[in-house]
Amino acid sequence: MSLTIRIPTPLRERAGGARTLPIDATTLADLRRGLADRYPELAAVVLDGDAFGPAVSVFVDGEDVRFLPEDADLRSARLVELLPAMSGG
Amino acid sequence: MTTMLTERIIGLRCRSCSLLQPRDERYVCERCLGAVEPEYDLASLAASDLRSRIEQGPRTLWRYAPLLPCAEPVQGLAVGWTPLVRAPRLGAALGVDDLWLKDDSRNPSLSFKDRPVSLATARAQELGLDTIACASTGNLAGAVAAAAARAGLRAFVFVPETTEASKVAAAAWYGATVVRVRGNYDRVNRMCGTLADDLRWGFVNFTLRPYYAEGSKTLLFEIAEQLGWRLPDHVVIPVGSGALLTRTATAIAQLVGTGLVPDAPCRISAAQPAGCAPVTDAVQDGWRAVSAVRSPDTLARSLAIGAPADGDASVDVVKRSGGAAASVSDAEISDACGLLARTEGALVEPAGGVVVATARALARRGVFARDERVVLYLTGNGHKGFPLEPELREPVDADPDAFVAAYPEAGR
Repeated sequence: MSLTIRIPTPLRERAGGARTLPIDATTLADLRRGLADRYPELAAVVLDGDAFGPAVSVFVDGEDVRFLPEDADLRSARLVELLPAMSGG
Repeated sequence: MTTMLTERIIGLRCRSCSLLQPRDERYVCERCLGAVEPEYDLASLAASDLRSRIEQGPRTLWRYAPLLPCAEPVQGLAVGWTPLVRAPRLGAALGVDDLWLKDDSRNPSLSFKDRPVSLATARAQELGLDTIACASTGNLAGAVAAAAARAGLRAFVFVPETTEASKVAAAAWYGATVVRVRGNYDRVNRMCGTLADDLRWGFVNFTLRPYYAEGSKTLLFEIAEQLGWRLPDHVVIPVGSGALLTRTATAIAQLVGTGLVPDAPCRISAAQPAGCAPVTDAVQDGWRAVSAVRSPDTLARSLAIGAPADGDASVDVVKRSGGAAASVSDAEISDACGLLARTEGALVEPAGGVVVATARALARRGVFARDERVVLYLTGNGHKGFPLEPELREPVDADPDAFVAAYPEAGR
């Protein structure tokens, strides 16, 4: 299924200036593979090897991917948000 | 003079990949998106000149302006220079010989958050922003609201809907727009991360974070000065985001690096509530990487941050300093708040109870050496509203005999 990736300003240069990008994925593994294949510059900071890396927080429809099971079903998901990992006052 | 102060900054350096980059509006590393921190050229400062300049400065955190990334603004609150006091009665109860309290609950909005917000607000003014904002568990909301009021800026503060009513009310009275959000702090944080990217507002804990976090250094600067320009042997620090703990280490390095204090070990220990202990659990599980906590559940709501920005960095600081960590239950937290209030006359919010209870746990483990000078950070005030009711007896008639009958311990 097609999802929309929302690109934050500090990452837009790595996305050809785009604010959003499309990606097809039905699982988290799909999502990572799709990032690496289609958007390698983005993947270089979002991923750490085969996993999501520590610098960027990734949310699927508002849910932090760290709390989603690896086989989470993304077929009805719509939005992937990327944000610099920055939490706390 | 103010221009000279910030000329010490040579740029922002990435904590992950070490890239030095310009001090512009960026708030993360352009190469790896890691956290960036101001870097200073302190080598040319003579310790004696620096010390006399600090000692002649205002009795606020701005006395440390040469070691901060912004100059003192014209219209700021009087933040900092809070008491450092010996705590012999609490020390006897905990079994710590040389115990001290840094009572940072006495800042203008009654928490240490006034410190980072002072720096963030100064930076917002340098950038000509008209609005400051934050995601908050409560204390930061009050600090942002108060600072904005004083500086004549607009403020939006975003808090979880479960935030203590007294903290929400204070922020609203300061004139901020208080946005209560359904969900926990980490949800509020995600929402604000997106808003911060869209709006040209000064989100103090996002887009102004490199400056904001530097304000937390000033607690340790003050402690060292109050001890006669020497470091304490050990500090125990509550951990929410970990910014206070990691910047304490930065502050120590800067004091030693400029020669303001003799080079001596200062151990840094971390305190968290058991209901949200990503950092202290990582320390106690053999210094592993921090795992985020999905649903924090603790009396110490100001520390209920499940995915702390400076989590791994905090674990690293504790390890390198030779410190330790403990997490404590809600019952231990409220007991410790009561103990502190009864022994030293300091009423703190539950985060302070977390620190006192952690000190007790560390003392029982034998972590503190004999004669080690230990300083506990008290970061928030109990007068903001405490989540537990004390046990009180029924009112009595206005009659001495009725009082004596109801309170036999009075011993007439």
